[in-house]
Amino acid sequence: MSKRPFLIPFLVPAILVAVIFLAALAEILQYSLREFIPGSLDVGGFTLDNFARIYRPVYFKAVINTFVLSLATAFFTLILSYPIAFALVRTKVEWVRTLLILLSITPLFTGEIVRTYAWMLVLGTNGFLNTMLLDIGVISEPVTFMYTRAGVVIALVQFAMPVMIIILATAISHINTDYEKAAANLGARPWTVITRVVIPLTMPGIISGFIVIFAWTMSAFATPQLIGGGKVLMISNAIYLQGFSALNFPFAATLSVIALISAFASLALMKLIANRLERQTAIH
Amino acid sequence: MKKLMIALGALAIALASTAASAQEKLIVSVWGGNWKDGAAIIAKEFTKRTGMEVEFITGGTLDRLAKAKVAKDNPESDVVYTTSHVGYLYQSDGLFEKLDKSKLSNFANLYPAADRGDYEVGVYSYVYSPVFRTDLMPKDFRITSWNDLWSDAVAGKLSMPDFDPSHIIVASSILAGGDAATWEKGVPLLEKLKPNIKAFYQSDATSQDLLKTGETPVQIMLSINAYHLIQNGVPITIEIPKEGAVVGIGALGINKGTKKLDAAQEFINVALDPVVQQEICDFHKCSPMNKDAKVSPELAKLPGIFTTPEQWSTQAIVTPDEVQAKLLPTWKAWFTENMMQ
Repeated sequence: MSKRPFLIPFLVPAILVAVIFLAALAEILQYSLREFIPGSLDVGGFTLDNFARIYRPVYFKAVINTFVLSLATAFFTLILSYPIAFALVRTKVEWVRTLLILLSITPLFTGEIVRTYAWMLVLGTNGFLNTMLLDIGVISEPVTFMYTRAGVVIALVQFAMPVMIIILATAISHINTDYEKAAANLGARPWTVITRVVIPLTMPGIISGFIVIFAWTMSAFATPQLIGGGKVLMISNAIYLQGFSALNFPFAATLSVIALISAFASLALMKLIANRLERQTAIH
Repeated sequence: MKKLMIALGALAIALASTAASAQEKLIVSVWGGNWKDGAAIIAKEFTKRTGMEVEFITGGTLDRLAKAKVAKDNPESDVVYTTSHVGYLYQSDGLFEKLDKSKLSNFANLYPAADRGDYEVGVYSYVYSPVFRTDLMPKDFRITSWNDLWSDAVAGKLSMPDFDPSHIIVASSILAGGDAATWEKGVPLLEKLKPNIKAFYQSDATSQDLLKTGETPVQIMLSINAYHLIQNGVPITIEIPKEGAVVGIGALGINKGTKKLDAAQEFINVALDPVVQQEICDFHKCSPMNKDAKVSPELAKLPGIFTTPEQWSTQAIVTPDEVQAKLLPTWKAWFTENMMQ
């Protein structure tokens, strides 16, 4: 057995962080089971009433919204990011690569709030998109993008794309191009090469990217808050409203527990589907 | 080892000097940005009178409250500047000292609305009232009553805060013959208002954005934000409905366990001084609490600025802090579950 002199010094901070993290989670769980006292920051005795309240339509809808919007965001992010990642890896023209990197990755360096505000200017009734569509005669009345699920998804997709592009580009760069050349030599058309060779070979990257963006979007806050304008509630917005507006910390804690359970359940389900998909698309 | 000892010694001296300097200063907890600048007007006069420096610690309304609760008997600040109904939460959780009003020489000259009980005192007031973009609404559009928000002209054009629905809830209750305590009377009206609401805003910034961009040409808005937009050239009309506008009050309280109780009392007294009140209100565009404060004529004529007892009695809807603090969670829950979906 080899000696590992750095194991304990490295493990201690990790264990400390884990203990603090678990203690915080235990505190949230404890709060979720306590009675709320209006007009006080103190909480009452133990109760299950907070969990019964989850079934009220607005909170149930927030959980469903979170799942649906996360799924839609991950899907559209994947669809839009894949061609960019592919071009980024495969282009032989240096300036095109630089341009693609600049356009796709630079947004990572601006904050969520800045990007969301930019989208508010684009998607508004008198925003860039509506003005342009009106000017070129595509629409005769402004389209409502703000305060809709579609608007929230558009902003979330743009927010998530840089991360997805990085993950997909890494996966695509690991493909041996000889496979594609071999497929082409055997008569496969470019589209067939992409769908039958490239995509299956990048399936681990696709699945990782999808899961990362899905999980990331499940905790989205500022974008649905600002673009959704209170009309599109995700679970994090509902938690904020209860905790920081109503000062109902017990119910905010209950919603947090539900969010955590939903995230774990969704990710477990997704992993199950992903494993099956990976087995089916594997090239033998 | 010797170097380590020297470094630790230096650190101890630095920490001790920080602690010593903190002891010589009055620590005031306040919101950041503009609100801190307004509090600095009080601080300047306080330092001039007492020689004691003031240091501000800033944060949001609720995170400061949460920190005060965690610190409990060992408070981070000596004085808290907050909204009066949040002040009630400080006092109900034992986080405020009882005020010694005999030491507040300016207390006798205040409007009744400034008296927020034994633990806090109102410093200035503002209103939440309907405002609209004059260029985006019909020429003859006016809001003379809260009832006008239910009109067809407002359909799909209205925004209001999601963090505090008390204004529309109280106004609806008054329209239905009730008040804040009997808010359920306004529920049928509130439900009818839903089609007129286009969005809910979460902050002063998003409130102003919704109006500036014309996204929602009608809004229930904080008067101070409306004046700010007008100053920046946005064509806005602020209306004070005949039922009155819903008043909010900025209040001061003293942290329980402060070691500078006398200085804290004096800070509050300075805040209520007529000249300081005038400066604060000229700065924030708010209503003074001291009857002797002489605000500029330009400010006095703005809607929502109350400078006479008559204005207070006819144009102001004031909800008791206890009622607001205890009912706000219920209002918030009802509003989220019934209006925001």
